[in-house]
Amino acid sequence: MNPEEMPEQEHLPKPTVWPIGFAIGIAVVLVGLIVDPTYIAPVGALIAIVFGVLWARAATSELRGRTTAIEPERREAQVAPAAVSGDGAQPAGERFPRNKFLELSTLGLGGVIGGLVTVPIAGFAVLPSFLGQKHHRTDLGPVSDFAEGQWYISTFMTDPAEGEVSRRTAFVRNNGTTTVEGKAEPSFTIISNHCAHLGCPVQANGPTGAILGMKTISEHTVSGPIKLEPVVPAGFGCPCHGGQYDTEGNRTAGPPVRALDRYAFEIINGRLILLGTFSVAHVDGTGAQAQIHKYKSVGPGEHVDGWEQILYPINPPHN
Amino acid sequence: MAVTRRPPTKSEVRKQQMMAAVNFPLDWLEERSGLIGGVKYFLFRKVPSDTNWMQTLGSATLTAFIVQAVTGVILAMYYKPTPGDAYSSIQNITDHVTMGWLVRGMHKWGASVFIILMFLHMGRVFLFGAYKYPRELNWVVGVLLLLMGMLEGFTGYLLPWDQTAYWATVVGINLNGTAPFLGPWLAQFLRGGQEIGADTLTRFYSMHMLLIPGAIIGLILLHLYLVVRLGVTSPPWSKEEAGRERVDGDGSRPLPSGLTKPVARGAGGAK
Amino acid sequence: MAVMTRREAKRAQFGRYKADVKDRGKPFFPYAMFHDTVMSLVVVSVIIALASIWKWTSWAPHHDGTHQGLLGPEYAAPADPGTTSFVPRPDWYFYFLFYLLRIFKWPDSVFLGTVGVPTIALILLISLPFYDLSRERRLSRRPVAVVGAVLTILSMAILTWKGATAKEALASEVIADVPHWVQAQHLPPAAVPGAKLFAVAGCTACHTYLGTGSSNLGAPDLTAIGTRNLGIQFQIRHLQCPSCVNPGSPMPKFASLGTKRLHDLAVFLEASKGGK
Repeated sequence: MNPEEMPEQEHLPKPTVWPIGFAIGIAVVLVGLIVDPTYIAPVGALIAIVFGVLWARAATSELRGRTTAIEPERREAQVAPAAVSGDGAQPAGERFPRNKFLELSTLGLGGVIGGLVTVPIAGFAVLPSFLGQKHHRTDLGPVSDFAEGQWYISTFMTDPAEGEVSRRTAFVRNNGTTTVEGKAEPSFTIISNHCAHLGCPVQANGPTGAILGMKTISEHTVSGPIKLEPVVPAGFGCPCHGGQYDTEGNRTAGPPVRALDRYAFEIINGRLILLGTFSVAHVDGTGAQAQIHKYKSVGPGEHVDGWEQILYPINPPHN
Repeated sequence: MAVTRRPPTKSEVRKQQMMAAVNFPLDWLEERSGLIGGVKYFLFRKVPSDTNWMQTLGSATLTAFIVQAVTGVILAMYYKPTPGDAYSSIQNITDHVTMGWLVRGMHKWGASVFIILMFLHMGRVFLFGAYKYPRELNWVVGVLLLLMGMLEGFTGYLLPWDQTAYWATVVGINLNGTAPFLGPWLAQFLRGGQEIGADTLTRFYSMHMLLIPGAIIGLILLHLYLVVRLGVTSPPWSKEEAGRERVDGDGSRPLPSGLTKPVARGAGGAK
Repeated sequence: MAVMTRREAKRAQFGRYKADVKDRGKPFFPYAMFHDTVMSLVVVSVIIALASIWKWTSWAPHHDGTHQGLLGPEYAAPADPGTTSFVPRPDWYFYFLFYLLRIFKWPDSVFLGTVGVPTIALILLISLPFYDLSRERRLSRRPVAVVGAVLTILSMAILTWKGATAKEALASEVIADVPHWVQAQHLPPAAVPGAKLFAVAGCTACHTYLGTGSSNLGAPDLTAIGTRNLGIQFQIRHLQCPSCVNPGSPMPKFASLGTKRLHDLAVFLEASKGGK
């Protein structure tokens, strides 16, 4: 019978390793061409030629009439049916079923992987909002800028490195001095303009520098540009939902749940330094004699006293 | 009687060739994925014959969402989510980028249109009673979509970083903060700190671009799957309403449940 | 025929629906899809039209997108966290929530307005199919549903409209109205300083005047306060301590403005005779 008429599948030559050797030879030639054309490339060519000849011989052996040993494909002996009856079958003698072990360990490992991925990511997403809160110190300029008894609308940046996004406003009044334990200490009323209802910017109810005929003071300190605009407020009001406050920050009308927050302050080298804010339930008295009912800083809308404070038992850390 | 077939004309042959050319890639794809069959099922499934114009509101909402998604992706190529650059990047988009004013305008007004259409669609579904058995799950998915849509609007509103954006977000976050017990924690998480800052903007950007659209797309796919599976309702006032109990010929007794003999005026049923 | 349980009846109706659609339904494409396509085209056209109108009406006058055209300016002022003159408002689709917050004015009830009422409303909305269990879909036979829907739509619409028109009339807005007041009330020059003080001192948070301001806590309209001829001295005393002159008045004291400014205010109030 003519080799060309035989169906190809029946007489494929037995697989040999010569092609691998040939490929190695070609690879060595290419490497040699790059690394060292004088010695390595010829070595590679030699290998390629030798294995190439052997490969060609094996591939064409039947064409040339040599018989090749053809092994018929044999199937494995039939396995006894009982052993492949289903995945619930247990080989006799095992105490812990294999498939159960695989199921549990798959779920378990899956859970471990899920945890390994989720926990750091969740921590990354959630924790930075709560940890590492910065403590801000803002230099508001020399105390002499603040005339006694005069309110100023002060704008400043709590963190100049962050830029405009850290701009804040406070209503500042120099109350003169007050006697604390026999010593005279300066007294300032520094009220934050974030409404205690939902955080809208509170406005001063009263004429400002333009109408009063007084000039706005501009300073430049380590905390960046500071603006002090004189104002004569009869109180403060919020444009969002109608909250009204008196000049000590106590709520007089509307939905705010407590008084306006205040800034803690220090006087260092004759300069007024603002620290962080604190929350105020209410204020008795005025000016330098004011009794401020002080709490840790909490968010707008949260009660700090009264029965409603049980609604906010644990607060996230503030500075 | 034997039928003699005349040989096909030239135009018929050309038509057959064209059909074969079109069908060849479709059959290739179908054999390897089954997708063409799915699309055909979606397109040619039966819907009640009396479906109403009001029932286009759902697909109209989907169109509005797609407009938002496409314009949003394009805007994201020019928008810079930092407090220092956000406002100026939007000025750049509006004034200098070719047709940037149109893409920005479409995105801004598309948001309002999307929300209006969602409410109208919800009203239509309520009107038709199409939230009743077996479509309860679809209603729940729909309300979740409404919620996601409004959150998408809320997070997107901050991105221009102008006065309206900043202060509306201050109030919105503090609103969440007044919720008892967990409110302050949620508010601080949303803000990325005690006060709104650069972290707030990037956080809202991530939610607006990735988290909420991902949720919306997943919910939309579920919503559409349920619509195809459970079918579209007929208007409740329709005489031909699919599923209405039919009465047989003389109108005296209802048919046993499950039979669908059509109402025939006067004479008995035909089929 | 035996009486079916509710569950069997529900399933039977759905079975009938499926069979009806199979027998007499029409293919989605092209019948229903045609309607969908037309409507989608309308939606896209409306969005493009709105974007274009926004552009042209805000850009045309000064070529910089700041004109308050038909649909508002293209650019609002950049964010200023330290502002004292801005009036915050949410996007229009949150106006109903915004106005709800103004309704819940009492501090004890704040969390009701912020989270209580909206959460209850959302729960009612999402669980609708679980408490409306009847199979009836015809509107004429669903009175509770129809009434509920009408009330909901009306209240949302009213809350939204009131939220849109709510004004808080503080210094930053009202000062611009003073020239109008001078003209409408024929105010003499001596009354103008008092008019400016009135505009910025927060009076309009509770009093209305020539259409500006809000009406809060029972404060009267002051457009024609001068016709009551209460006299300059009375006005000054009242402003210094309203509850001394008018027991029970919630009006705060304005003594801190100083004698001269109180006098200016009194002159303005006495000159406000209700104009033409």
